[in-house]
Amino acid sequence: MVPGPQRQTRRVELRMKSYPWPDGARAVIFLSVNFDAETLDLKETTPDRMYGRFGYGRYGVRAGFPRLVALLEKHSIPATFFVAASDARRHPDLIRTLVDKGHEIGARGIDLEDFSKLGDAEPKILKESRDILADVCGKAPVGFRAPDGNMSVNTLRYLAELGYEYDASFLDSDFPYCMEPVPGKTIIEVPATYALDDGPIYSARHTHARVMTVFRDEIYAMREAGTLIPLTLHLRGDFGSTRGARIAALDELFTQVKSHGDTHFMNGAAIAAHARSLGLTPEPDPAAAHLATLAKTVYRGDLAVKPK
Amino acid sequence: MTTRSIFPEEMRCVVLMGIDYDGTSHEVGRGIAPLGKNSCGRYSARDGVPRLLDMLDRHEVPATFFIPGYDAEHHPESVAEIDRRGHEVAAHGYLHEAWPLESAEEEVLLKRTDRILREVTGKPVLGWRSPSGRKSDTTLGVLKSMGYIYDSSEKDFDLPYRARFGKGADDTIIELPNNAYSLDDFPFYKFSYTPPSEVLAQWKGEFDSIYCSEGFVVLSVHPRSAWGSGTPSHTKVMSDFIAYAKSHDGVKFFDSRTFAKWCLDHSDKLEELSYV
Repeated sequence: MVPGPQRQTRRVELRMKSYPWPDGARAVIFLSVNFDAETLDLKETTPDRMYGRFGYGRYGVRAGFPRLVALLEKHSIPATFFVAASDARRHPDLIRTLVDKGHEIGARGIDLEDFSKLGDAEPKILKESRDILADVCGKAPVGFRAPDGNMSVNTLRYLAELGYEYDASFLDSDFPYCMEPVPGKTIIEVPATYALDDGPIYSARHTHARVMTVFRDEIYAMREAGTLIPLTLHLRGDFGSTRGARIAALDELFTQVKSHGDTHFMNGAAIAAHARSLGLTPEPDPAAAHLATLAKTVYRGDLAVKPK
Repeated sequence: MTTRSIFPEEMRCVVLMGIDYDGTSHEVGRGIAPLGKNSCGRYSARDGVPRLLDMLDRHEVPATFFIPGYDAEHHPESVAEIDRRGHEVAAHGYLHEAWPLESAEEEVLLKRTDRILREVTGKPVLGWRSPSGRKSDTTLGVLKSMGYIYDSSEKDFDLPYRARFGKGADDTIIELPNNAYSLDDFPFYKFSYTPPSEVLAQWKGEFDSIYCSEGFVVLSVHPRSAWGSGTPSHTKVMSDFIAYAKSHDGVKFFDSRTFAKWCLDHSDKLEELSYV
């Protein structure tokens, strides 16, 4: 592990990278929406108790959906909706509306499962969710985002075997990159960031004005740096972005971003296809180098530091 | 107890910047594979450290990178680059042990990380910052026995001081206390999701207060994504903070080892806190 003579030849990789976006774009916004309707509430309660506080998912499909769709249409933004198969079965008309309007549908499990804990059931659930979305949409999804960002060391391999083109679950890079979980079958990673995700910020109970300040600070700095700008929204009425005032705030933000002219919107499939066209060298499996250490390390859970 | 500055007029305000590398060690050490939402540590070597190094180059200011040994094993080229660009490589646990360790195990890990870092840079390691602020009553003795001259883990003072860990004449080490609550990145970006522009205002406020009093600023950041400072917007906050600090008279940036040596040379100006 001590650096050998290759140190000098690798120096170029130690500098900040740049990325050749298509059509002269300075930076590209990947607008994705985690659909997460009733399926998310059903992780907290049972079908006979889906009232009151467990109605925020229902808000998203009843009240929020048309607002968000109209906003995207107004700004001609192609988006990717990651949809749990249960939500797609429950709302096939909404999913077909999205497809008809040119948006991409990506996979997100059947019932927003924790993919780090599925064990042998994992490939079956990935396949079944893909088949359900294919049935509802008329074509199979090419992208996947793990519910709550949880993945097993096998998820990427299963995705590659099932013919997925890209994953959008990692939080580790300024740019898309390539992995080869199965010899000859590559997966493009289109990473996200929590800094541009309405979920955690609205969950911290910030006002929409403050959330827009975060989004603006992030988007402007990323545009300056020419990176992928992964903006993640939710459809829900609690920590999602479809309340009227939040949609109005996004309307203003998109108007400002569009006025730059050099920041383009692309959906996940288009970003992955472009990355694939660049012939990127596949990177090593993200877990492989850590498996030996993980095998002898006690699970301690998330760092138990909470503000007092 | 004094809270007035102990520094000469030409360095009336000292700024130390500690960058806690916190790569995949942060998750792997807790038994979590660095995948999906647990992949933020992968950002450090890939994008965060290169961006911070370029930013520091532009300002021509030094920093100290506190690095877990495990991360240095996995990214020796990144650690070597930090050293080559003139910054300090210091220790930060092996697997970012954010839990209490038995003394014997702690000593093994301190020595392992020390060896790993020395092998990468070919230089002695002179300082340590505890991962998540945990250490024991034997930590400082082990650090001193390895030739370390400072620790930067305490949260209990506004100035550097001598920490006494034994009764012998040499049983002291320089302590450079930091503030992981309001002059750090993760409290704002991880817990409160404060907008980056407000974080800048917060850090400037901390600076203003310290500049007018003790004159000892210790900023702690992380290169990882999400709650770190290696991303474009968060690096910009740090860059703007550095520019703001530099615009004041008598502000001097040091890496921690250089400043700890100044403290050793001016030991009479420091308070001593005895743990024995």
